Amino acid sequence: MSEYLLEIQNVSKLFSGLVAIDNLSMKVKKGQIYGIIGPNGAGKTTLFNCITGIYTPEIGQILWKGKDIKGISPYKIAGLGILRTFQTIRLFSEMSVAENIMSGRHIKSKQRWYNGIIPTPAYFKDEKYQWTKVGELMEFFNLSLYATTPAGDLSYGIQRRIEMARALAAEPELLILDEPAAGLNENETIELTEMIRKIQAMGVTIMMIEHDMEMVMSLSEYITVINFGAKISEGVPSFVQADPKVVEAYIGSDEEDEDA
Amino acid sequence: MMNKTGLIALLLLGFAGLYPLFVDSAWLAVGTTFLVFACVAFSQDIILGRAGVFHMGHAMFFGLGAYTTAILNVQFGWAILATWIPSVVIPMACAFALVAPIIHLRGDYLLVATIGFNIIFIQILENDVFGLTGGPNGLFGIDVVHVFGYDFSSQIHMYYMAFILLGITLFIMRSLDRSKFGRAMFYIHKDDIAAQSMGISLRYYKLYAFILGAGIAGAAGSMFSVQYSAVSPEAFNVTQSIMFFTIVLVGGSASLPGVLIGTFVMFVLPEVFREFETARYLVFGVAMILTMILRPRGIWPVKFGNIPSFLKKGAK
Repeated sequence: MSEYLLEIQNVSKLFSGLVAIDNLSMKVKKGQIYGIIGPNGAGKTTLFNCITGIYTPEIGQILWKGKDIKGISPYKIAGLGILRTFQTIRLFSEMSVAENIMSGRHIKSKQRWYNGIIPTPAYFKDEKYQWTKVGELMEFFNLSLYATTPAGDLSYGIQRRIEMARALAAEPELLILDEPAAGLNENETIELTEMIRKIQAMGVTIMMIEHDMEMVMSLSEYITVINFGAKISEGVPSFVQADPKVVEAYIGSDEEDEDA
Repeated sequence: MMNKTGLIALLLLGFAGLYPLFVDSAWLAVGTTFLVFACVAFSQDIILGRAGVFHMGHAMFFGLGAYTTAILNVQFGWAILATWIPSVVIPMACAFALVAPIIHLRGDYLLVATIGFNIIFIQILENDVFGLTGGPNGLFGIDVVHVFGYDFSSQIHMYYMAFILLGITLFIMRSLDRSKFGRAMFYIHKDDIAAQSMGISLRYYKLYAFILGAGIAGAAGSMFSVQYSAVSPEAFNVTQSIMFFTIVLVGGSASLPGVLIGTFVMFVLPEVFREFETARYLVFGVAMILTMILRPRGIWPVKFGNIPSFLKKGAK
């Protein structure tokens, strides 16, 4: 088995001839927090969509523990242990917070096909176990208060926490966070940073797109910088910060960044 | 301790259980048909209200169950009891065979395809394929249920058989709601991309909804054919499918009381206002439009948050 959990090898993704991702490679080690930064429209989310199976890249390979997972459907990717959150929050907004988190327990549930029609003793045991797990996660993310509240009625910061709890409920090996700090205030960002550290301590590998430089630099062990779909720099935070190419890319796109 | 919804449910159960003692035979038949249609509406709700699949050919599965019982009994002399299993299994098998190739279609495209299935189904019935379906007139003289030499032939028997069938249907709905299967359907319905990212296969759970829905509709169809001792194509045409579709949306998608109210409004009320003749349908058209404008989620919308009580303790 490869020493890397996830390897992206020379991946390119085209949209009707436009290059969204251009010959991109990166290697993520187990247990790492891996940061991906770059100006808006650089192709960061497209890359996450390629990893999670929403898009299939035309060229290149995406290796998960050494096996190519390119073109596999999203639900199977989740089954492998790769779970994600979304830049534009995608919760089941009419449903309660507990039910939202329960969706993460889906792949862990041992219920059989006939349990949708008739309950069995094994079903009751499983159902109780899964809800207990949901309870633990709500505690961890400080959400117990909102167990029965529809997720859509809650503030942005809380919704981001629910999304992370939902992904974590599936006990992922790799957690992919797409701008987890977007829309959060300063205190919430500090809370989030601590939360991400705790998740790493559980042994979860984390890949993260983030525009909050302070946060991404303090958390990440390794960073890749993308612009116009291509890698322009990579390395430890201190190296990337000092790289003139990175500085140039950011100054050149200051305006769009303000809109984020 | 019993909550308000539980009390209402118990009162309704009591009323439905004693209903045959207070009404004449015409109203008894209306009651029986209400129970049968409620089963079909619930089965439509599994597909439309829960999995969120725009399916407008549900009368076909209802008809498949009815014709399976009718053909096996009238043409092949099977006892009604022996036709029960095939009248459930055949619609399920058809649902799988017909829907699996088109399940990836989105909303409106799938809707048109399911209407197409329903139209073809009616054509097959009317053209008396293999001389089995009896053509446009359908089949007559369907037997009643015999068990140990006892005939369940009166309208009261029919009513209680339909009552038991609705009970079984409600039991299944409840099991579904509290299992990962029912929840997966909701997740797919509310946000299919998020659902997939949680490891939920759209194809599997949409097909699950169709097959389960077809099975319940088939059982209801079998009951329907025995109640009227006859079947004919027009009871299962696209207009009927539209009615089942509308019952769910007007009553409240994925809401058990909502679907019952929908069935009552769309089916029983027209019987109550029979003296107004066809003018009554004008009122219903208007009522349907107003419901969608004023209560777009139905008369009695679904309430989420059905979680175990130990999780509600800390909640506000």
